[in-house]
Amino acid sequence: MKDLAILEKLCTAIGVSGEEDAVRAVILQEIEPLADSVEITPLGNIIAFKKGKNRAAKKLMLCAHMDEVGFVITNITEEGFLKFKTVGGVRPEVLSGRAVLVNGKTPGVICAKPVHLMKGDEFEKPVPVEELSIDIGASSREEAETAVQIGDNASFVPFFESSRGTVKAKSLDDRAGCFVLIELMKTELEFDTYFVFSVQEEIGLRGAGTAAYIVEPDAAIVLEGTTAGDIAGVEPVDTVCKLGGGAAVSFIDRRTIFTKAFFKRALELGRENNIPCQPKTASAGGNDAGSIHVTKSGVKTVTLAVPCRYIHGPVAIASEADIENTVKLTALLMAEIAGGRTV
Amino acid sequence: MFEEMERLTRVLCAEHGTSGCEDDVFEAAKRELAFCDTVTVDELSGVTGIFGNPDAKRRILLDAHIDQIGMVVTNIDENGFLRVTNVGGVDRRTMPGSPVTVYGKETLTGVVCTLPPHLMQGKEEKIKPVSEQAIDVGLSREEAEQLVSIGDRAVLTCTVRKLMGNRVSGTALDDRSGCACIIRAAQMVQEKDPDCCVMVVCSTREEVGGQGAQIRTYTLEPTEAIAVDVSFAKQPGAQNLNAELGGGPMIGFSAALDRRISKKLIRLAKENDIPYQLEAMGGRTGTNCDEIGVSRGGVRTGLISVPQRNMHTPAEVCDLEDMENIAKLIAAYIMDGKD
Repeated sequence: MKDLAILEKLCTAIGVSGEEDAVRAVILQEIEPLADSVEITPLGNIIAFKKGKNRAAKKLMLCAHMDEVGFVITNITEEGFLKFKTVGGVRPEVLSGRAVLVNGKTPGVICAKPVHLMKGDEFEKPVPVEELSIDIGASSREEAETAVQIGDNASFVPFFESSRGTVKAKSLDDRAGCFVLIELMKTELEFDTYFVFSVQEEIGLRGAGTAAYIVEPDAAIVLEGTTAGDIAGVEPVDTVCKLGGGAAVSFIDRRTIFTKAFFKRALELGRENNIPCQPKTASAGGNDAGSIHVTKSGVKTVTLAVPCRYIHGPVAIASEADIENTVKLTALLMAEIAGGRTV
Repeated sequence: MFEEMERLTRVLCAEHGTSGCEDDVFEAAKRELAFCDTVTVDELSGVTGIFGNPDAKRRILLDAHIDQIGMVVTNIDENGFLRVTNVGGVDRRTMPGSPVTVYGKETLTGVVCTLPPHLMQGKEEKIKPVSEQAIDVGLSREEAEQLVSIGDRAVLTCTVRKLMGNRVSGTALDDRSGCACIIRAAQMVQEKDPDCCVMVVCSTREEVGGQGAQIRTYTLEPTEAIAVDVSFAKQPGAQNLNAELGGGPMIGFSAALDRRISKKLIRLAKENDIPYQLEAMGGRTGTNCDEIGVSRGGVRTGLISVPQRNMHTPAEVCDLEDMENIAKLIAAYIMDGKD
């Protein structure tokens, strides 16, 4: 496998949407020696440009988002508990009893009433977010305020482990995509390419569109960590994509109808070159392509995604081979699109 | 503050010990009880450290349970997912998406299956029973079967972390916090050469019925006993409780407890300026006291509880100051021969 140490640095950094600073710092450290130019946009996107051997027939932009889902502190109770809202989509069922970090440094836990004190069918229902609180050990509002203020962010606790071909980590959505971009930047490119690390994807694809406005690409490849549903209790028809099946290529999701020629060519390239890849078999979620493809007079887009189980929870699982194969397939597709061979 | 109590808590919570599988944490308890005159480890009942006057009439049993709730692997499905059932009262609501540690041939990390919000459209938000949830260790069935056997144990992962003030959070604070209290109390009185026999027991299997305390009490024949377990402190979702985190040892009153011991604990708390709070229970206590009290011809038993939030979740929270005060109260109890 490629340099997993970089993936570990990416996944263990904290970057809740709108406060991507720590992740941006990790990425900049890696790409500054690789890029010909680097620009930070007003919202905090990174736009890196790297020259290829040839000038591109079609201006190509790759995009992966830096931000992660998390929590924002909305209130501090008299007893010192923190009330919060989710930033991005997090299901309440993954929250009760979880360890969190406030401001990237203050440890806390999400309270869960003891099972002994529950009544009726209470134990079958996820607790709604508005009824949850974070306990940082403070015994009063005043004590809590020495570490936290309203508006501060909280996140799941950094976690990373790789063994036996799988990666288990926080924020694989979308640090896996960021990793793919960095790996590609390390290679010698056939054509000039723009690499965008975007902000605020999880709250509605707000960063990528502004980056695309500045780059003005003809085409874009979005790299994601996407929903693999190949888990216990899910019917095979509902699995969306599978770990080990290679990059998931989307033809449609909730925000974008992708450029059909790109979708087809991506799958063909995989077949022709023995690189595993798979069509994403559901229209679920949405990614930065949603805002990129309607930028200015429109941008042709395609998404290649690393299948990840349990995204938007504390720890997701991905396959190292899928990450590697996504890098390979993206490299081939980049040359096709930037070279004007697939339009 | 309370460095020794924090150290004991971390050392004891670092090891696995779901009910009936407490061997790893036995070793930690044995090391911490090494200052006793004798330390014995018994697979069925737990770790016992004995010191003081072995011939004294007054034989005090200090009990806290060393086991923790968790899961046991019941099956490995065709795709390598581990199917489990609960060992003790696991809260199913804390499972989906949780990191898990599986104690197989090697220690493995897993995640409890959950679907992301993107794939939940139109689906009912209902949490499945423990036995219908599954653990993903990222392995195929063949690979999983090399490393995990049916009967292996798993717990929801959460290492001990220091919160603000004197508070700590982590899984298994129920009842390793109690073990830390009785070991600390023993440390405090051991040098004072008490004129009684002190038997410190970190007992097994409380979460599945208290079998460890039952058989150990029979063997040790105490004349009186104090058990330390965790109990409910006020918290979000449970406001109508008396006890508060940081409010001091919870002295138990119940039909199953010895009222003289409960009152003596109050007297000693007052005499020693130890803050305390009272906890009244209906019949039995739901702790090892229920088994200890009816051992042989009967044993007078008291209960001191560590106030705790989020019991039986990976996010249990206790206060080190409460724990230190419990140790002090027990030490005072041992040194005071009067009722």
